[in-house]
Order: sequence, then C-alpha cells, then structure tokens
Amino acid sequence: MTESTKKTSRSKGQMIAIIIAALIAAIGIGLWAYQLSAGFVNTNMRNLDSWGLYIINFMWFVGLSAGGMIISSAPKVFGAKGFGGISKVAVWVSICCTVLAVAFVLVDLGGPQRVWHLFAYANMSSPLMWDIIVLTLYLIISIVYLWAVLRLEKGKGSAKALRVLSAIALICAVMVHTVTAWIFGLLQARALWYTALLGPWFVSSALVSGLALVLIVVVALRKAGYLELKQENIVKMAKFLGIFMAVDLYFFACDLLTSGFPGAEGATIVAMLTTGALAPFFWTEIILSIIVLFVAFVPTLRTTSLVVCASALAVLAILCKRIQLLVGGFQIPNISYPTVLTGPELSGGGSSLASLSSSLVYVPSPLEFGIVIGVLGLGALLLLLGIRLLPLKPAAEDN
Amino acid sequence: MAEKQYGLVVDTKRCVGCHSCSVACKIENNLSAGVIWNRILTNGGASMDSAKGTFPNLSKHYIPMICQHCANPACTKACPVGATYKDITTGAVRQDYDLCIGCRMCMAACPYTGVRSFNWEEPTYTMDFAVGDINVPKHQKHVVEKCTLCYHKLSKGEEPICIDACISGARVFGDLNDPDDKVVNLISKRKYIQLLPERGTNPSVYYLV
Ligand code: SF4
Repeated sequence: MTESTKKTSRSKGQMIAIIIAALIAAIGIGLWAYQLSAGFVNTNMRNLDSWGLYIINFMWFVGLSAGGMIISSAPKVFGAKGFGGISKVAVWVSICCTVLAVAFVLVDLGGPQRVWHLFAYANMSSPLMWDIIVLTLYLIISIVYLWAVLRLEKGKGSAKALRVLSAIALICAVMVHTVTAWIFGLLQARALWYTALLGPWFVSSALVSGLALVLIVVVALRKAGYLELKQENIVKMAKFLGIFMAVDLYFFACDLLTSGFPGAEGATIVAMLTTGALAPFFWTEIILSIIVLFVAFVPTLRTTSLVVCASALAVLAILCKRIQLLVGGFQIPNISYPTVLTGPELSGGGSSLASLSSSLVYVPSPLEFGIVIGVLGLGALLLLLGIRLLPLKPAAEDN
Repeated sequence: MAEKQYGLVVDTKRCVGCHSCSVACKIENNLSAGVIWNRILTNGGASMDSAKGTFPNLSKHYIPMICQHCANPACTKACPVGATYKDITTGAVRQDYDLCIGCRMCMAACPYTGVRSFNWEEPTYTMDFAVGDINVPKHQKHVVEKCTLCYHKLSKGEEPICIDACISGARVFGDLNDPDDKVVNLISKRKYIQLLPERGTNPSVYYLV
C-alpha cells in the first residue's frame, strides 16, 4: 500500500468509529430520557442504596481524568524532562474523562431540568457544591492549558506563562480528586467513607488509573501510526504506574488496619470487604494490583504488550475499588432493627436489613448499564473527534 | 442555635408497637404508595415483633423512628442547593420539593437508616382522592422527602399528628430549648437514649428507656 492509500483507509476507519460512537451516545440519550419519564424505579437504586453505577462511574472517571493532566503538567512545572510528545493527547484524554464524570452526575440526578438551581441556590457548605465548582474550574483550565500548549508550538504566547498555567492545572488536578473524595469522606453517616485518608487515597487511585489510561491510549495511537513514542518513555511511565499502585495499596492497608484494629464498628467493614459481600471485588483488586506491580518493577516484563495489559488491569483494579467504596458505603445499615420495608427501600423489596450482610445490597439494572454504555459512547466520540480535528500530534522534535 | 427546637420524647416503656402513629402519618401527609415517614422498629429478635432471648429471659421494645430533626443535622450541610434546611423558628429540618434536584446527597449524609425517602417514580396512591391535611405540599416525582414534623400543623400551633394518634401516650412533643417544657422535664427525670449519638448530630428525638 502506498502512504496515501494507507492514510485514506485510516481516516475511513476513523469515520466509521466516530459514527458508531455517535450512535451509541444517541441511544444512551434515549435511555436517559426513558429513565426520566418512566422513573428511577427502573434502576436498582433504592432508599437504602441511593447511589449506584452512575456514581461509581463518576468516581472512576474523575480518577481517570487525572493521568493526562498530571503527566503533561508536572514535568513542565518542575522543569523536568517529560514523557515525550504525548502531552497534548494526554490532556485531551483528560478533558474527555472530565466531561464524562460530569455526565455521570447529570444522569444520576432526579431532576436534571433543575440543574440551574446549583447556580441560583448554591449551598456553599456542601462538598458536592465544592466538587461541582472545582470540576468546572478543572475543565476550563484543562481546555485553556491545551490551547496554550498549542499556541506555544506555533511560537505564540510565552513559555513562562505556560509554566505558571501548568502549576495551576496541577494544583487543580490534585484538588479535583481530593474534593471528590470529600463528597464521601466528610459524611459521618457512612463508616467506610468517613476517614481523613480518603482524600489522599483518591489522589493515588486517580494517578494509577489515569496514568494507565494514558498508557493504553498512546500505545494504541502509536500502533495506529498517529504518533511516535520512544520505548524509554513507555518504560518510564510503567515505572511510575508501579509506584502509584504501591502507594495506593499502602493506603488501603493503612485504612484496613486502622478500621479493623479496635475490633469495633470498623471490624465489620473489614469483614465485609475481605470475606463478606464485597470480597470478590476486594480480592480481584488485590490480585490485579499485584500483577501490575510485577510488570512495572521486573525489567524483563516491561514489554509494550505486557505494559498495556498491566495498564488495563490497573484501570480495572481501580474500578473494583470504586465499587467496594460505593456499594460498601450502603451495605451495612447503621440501624438494622427489623421493621416494615417497602419497594422504595430496597430493590430486593421485602428482604430484611439484617439479612443483607451476605448478599449485595445493590446490583445495577439493565437500564443503568445501558445508560453507562451510552455515556461511554459519548466519551469515545469526543476522544475520536479530538484526535481527528485537533492538532494533537507531537511536534517532530519532542518524540 | 434555633430559637426553638421542637422535638419528641418517646417512652419506649409505653410504646406497644401498634403502628398507629405510622398510619396516621401516612394519611395526614397523603403519602404515596410504599412511602413511610414514620416506622416502628423492633429491638428484639430477628424479625418484627419477636423477642430476644429464651423464655423466661425475654426482652423486646419498640423504637418508633422518624426524621430526628437533629440540632446539628448532617443532611442540611450536604445538600448542594439548600433544599433541605433547618427552620429557624421551629428547629424542624425541612424539605423544599420545588428546590430539590434529586441528587440524593442528603440520603448518603443522613446516618438514620430509612428516614429519607426518594420518590423513584411518579407518586401513586391507593385511594383516588387525596387524604389528610390540605396544606401538605404535593408529592413530587424524583425528589427526596421525609417527616416534616407536620410543619403544616406546627405553623397553626398544633402538634404533629403522630402525637395525637399514639394510643398509649408514649409520644410527647415540645420545645427542647425551653427549660420549663414538659419534654425537658421528662428527659431530666427519666433515663433516655438518643439514636447514634456518636455521629454528633444531636437528634431531637429522645427515647425514654
Ligand atoms: S436530593 Fe434534594 S434535598 Fe437531598 S441533597 Fe439533593 S437537592 Fe438536596
């Protein structure tokens, strides 16, 4: 094949992918409309497990958005050598993930038509309000940052201004994860969430999943011939992935020990995670994390394909953790005396609170999966459009 | 601090677990199908109305549970739009259906299991006409609701319906900030508990034990 036919066939493939993604997103919007008109009863969320798959995905995508921004801004701030020319693609991935995180909050709202109340009647003491503010800021700063990077490449704007902007973006990225953690971590109602560690822990999980996602995307783009990237940069990122993963596990261990050691309320939580209803997610996370550590730290294992596999496992491990956190928060009721329970209380209507300990309090309904897939379609659409329309290719000199 | 802090004292030695208050609440507030604001918990065996222990060492008492109208509520801080808020004049934790965006942050924030209720669909009713007080705000789909401390009655100087409905006089209503009030008198004389005191919410429902 000649160079030009290769190019046209690639762009044709891209076009098809964009159309498919748009279709999936459109179906998602249809399902969302259905959820709003036919009611949230079609989800499996109920009074005693009032958040579900959407908020799991919200946490997950806020985390995924971290990698790109931090990878591209941190080296600039500290004047260190970066990870090659991937920074623009990385920031774009970051922006897409942030948009998805916001979308997941939106589909979780009972009254999205009232979303303007957030601005008109903002209650500044609410961690959710804080998060909406920092997420909006983060989104704006990411876009401005990308724009500034692109301008600088064309020789406009100053490098110093970009460095200042990088610093702001970096701080904002760290804040986004911390404040997202506070939505949960400041609620004394849920023993699993109410820990000062939750903020830093969200940052470490975000770094793990965010970096892993960037790795997957850039290797895929390299394969597709969109950009070139030296192997040493992949190895460098894999090492960082391992470090972040180790920190994340370390936090988990600290938290489990602090919860479990007094043998009081926290011990039930440790039991719920390690042997109870959430054990499958807990142990999957642990096993996946250990595999990731091996790939990241054993030099002979750091081949491109293994690094990509490990990255995918890291993203999944963090998903498992988000599931544990969210469902685990609702799994153990604070007051479990037998009483009258009706349909709106529990999706398995009629089951008693005390019998919950063995089975999961919440399993998503098909509608919830459908809407999540729709939102993911929107994400794919954004990602592909960005790659197609924005000049995100690395400038020749920084491969 | 609110000028007044209306609250309840519930005598668990008197409560017989008849659910009359629960039913009266459901009717007074025209609650839709499946929604309960006031429920009776059994502190005893594994199922409702059963006792703990083996004969003759049995024990059982009832814990009627409503929104605790906490002096330091967790929900009002958490709501991003102030749709749930502390009423200054009565100390009741109120809920504005027209403001609520249905994010359910308050449900995550409230430590008292099952007190807050979301309308997961368009409210449906067992009867085809509205019951209860005409001043009760209309129930809405996709918003959170809960016990209002019968705010519509408080504003007329009346007590919540669950107080009138209790067949054994187990429920007493009054202002916890007024040292001469009967509720203050009761909790100064009798031994009482509050639910989940370790969460620091300082609930306004006291249980005499
Ligand atoms: S569900 Fe309604 S009342 Fe509860 S926090 Fe959200 S907006 Fe506020």
